[in-house]
Amino acid sequence: MISTKKERVLQIILIVILSIMALYCLSPILLAVLNSFKSQGEIFTNILALPEKFKFQNYVTTFKKMHYFRSFINSIIIVAIGMAGIVIFSAMAGWILCRTKTRLSKLFYSLFVFSMLIPFNSIMIPLYRIAGFLHLSNSTVGLGLIYIGLGVGMAIFIYYGFTKTIPIEIEESAYIDGCSTLGIFIHIVMPLLGPVTATICIINILWMWNDFLLPIIMLRSSKNYTLLLSTNMLFGQYSSDWPAILSALILTVIPVIVLYAFLQKNILKGVIDGAVKG
Amino acid sequence: MNYGLNKGKNIKMFLFILPALAFFTVIKLIPAVMGIVYSFTNWNGINPTKKFIGIENFKELFASDPDFWVSMGLTLKYVVVIVILMNMTALLLAVMIENLNRGKGFFRTIFYLPNMISMIIGGFMWKFVFTQVLYRLAEKTGMKFLDQPWIGDPKYAFWSIIAVAIWGGAGYLMVIYIAAIQSVPTYLYEAAIVDGASSMRRFWSVTLPMIRNSITICLFVTLNSAFQVFDVVYSLTGGGPGGATQVVAINIYKEAFARSNRFGYATAKSTIVFLIVLIVTFIQLKVTQRKEVEA
Repeated sequence: MISTKKERVLQIILIVILSIMALYCLSPILLAVLNSFKSQGEIFTNILALPEKFKFQNYVTTFKKMHYFRSFINSIIIVAIGMAGIVIFSAMAGWILCRTKTRLSKLFYSLFVFSMLIPFNSIMIPLYRIAGFLHLSNSTVGLGLIYIGLGVGMAIFIYYGFTKTIPIEIEESAYIDGCSTLGIFIHIVMPLLGPVTATICIINILWMWNDFLLPIIMLRSSKNYTLLLSTNMLFGQYSSDWPAILSALILTVIPVIVLYAFLQKNILKGVIDGAVKG
Repeated sequence: MNYGLNKGKNIKMFLFILPALAFFTVIKLIPAVMGIVYSFTNWNGINPTKKFIGIENFKELFASDPDFWVSMGLTLKYVVVIVILMNMTALLLAVMIENLNRGKGFFRTIFYLPNMISMIIGGFMWKFVFTQVLYRLAEKTGMKFLDQPWIGDPKYAFWSIIAVAIWGGAGYLMVIYIAAIQSVPTYLYEAAIVDGASSMRRFWSVTLPMIRNSITICLFVTLNSAFQVFDVVYSLTGGGPGGATQVVAINIYKEAFARSNRFGYATAKSTIVFLIVLIVTFIQLKVTQRKEVEA
């Protein structure tokens, strides 16, 4: 009896502490939502209260000001191109490197793995120059292609590790039946890599969608801006117009929150797998 | 491939890695090499000719660029504080959540949420809190200590950045720690209870040794990301006030793209950063690996 009572007290203490921390965690988001519906004057006089009247107009104005739709599409294009390239090319490479046991394959594999240690800072400036040379800078498609080059290293590492867990016999029998290597890869290996592909998609989508430093270096004209860059520009232009800024922040956050709401389990699983295997 | 002809194995492999290798070479490998080469030149964005100037950049860097070393010192301080505090916060959250009877999923969802949000956006949200909300809250509630120049005073700005960085990053480490704690076999705890171990003792002697692998991963992740911290500083203080929070990544970014366009000199800085990251990572992996073997 004593231990259950102690247990109950412990539970209450835990819930109180966790609730306070959860409040800290949510407060900037809640305060942003709350005040995004107010006028500037109301923010200044009554920052913690509910809005007297919900000013949806803030959102309409901001939506136009930051060219939300265009920025959203830009972000989607970049992530889609990067994603497709990373998944297809890394699956091919990761699988074949694992299945080929030669000196050369080991060398290439170590090259990809070691590259994960290179900080972005160290390649940023030459990359800027190369991208300009190849006409990849100031273009959403170009930025997507750049992400492929930056993302394959880690993805190959994960695909390689996963391939080791797939029994080779299936591939061998397909080979005996006369299937080509490419055929084996497309019809047999790719479906088997499904679970780990989901993980790689999640990690890379979140990374590219939330990345800031690379796009701000590469994308010069505002018609190519991603959601983050548009928000950043808006902040620079209207740095004291809080209703505009806060509604922009919320508008930018909505896509990831929606994603999180629907795919929470997969995202957490993907993140854990990615970290533990990467 | 273990099946099939041995002849042509390498050719087949090469064809399959070619697309990935091509992108990787152009986007990552060549820039990495160029970065080192450029650090020995006087290349800048305006003058098209660049020439080799030997170790002049490094000489200047070591002899007459105190700003960079202030940035470096600040970054090291940031790394140490973040690695310790973020991991402790995450581990604490994970342990507390795992000890709950109900509501585990609820709290996990909330604490992971900031990780979904870009630190640019998170930083702007916190900027609103620091500059607009807190002093008004202080007025209304009488909690005077809340009324401080949180991001306008060098004394507070560093710790404000730390608070926001932990807000944004601890959830990620937390889910890794939770997964690790869940994989500890329950019979170990049962055995410890039979032996009369207190809950504190069980944490030290069962949980911690069993999740050592995850701790290594989390230390590695935080170390690397903290060295390259950019977004949270950019959005919250922009490196200010007066350069007081100018971490290395901001320093290099400004050197190359905002202040002077001295690309050659900026790559010299990034080469130094790369070397330091490499050395620190190497030491960290060695130290934690040795511990793992002992355990």
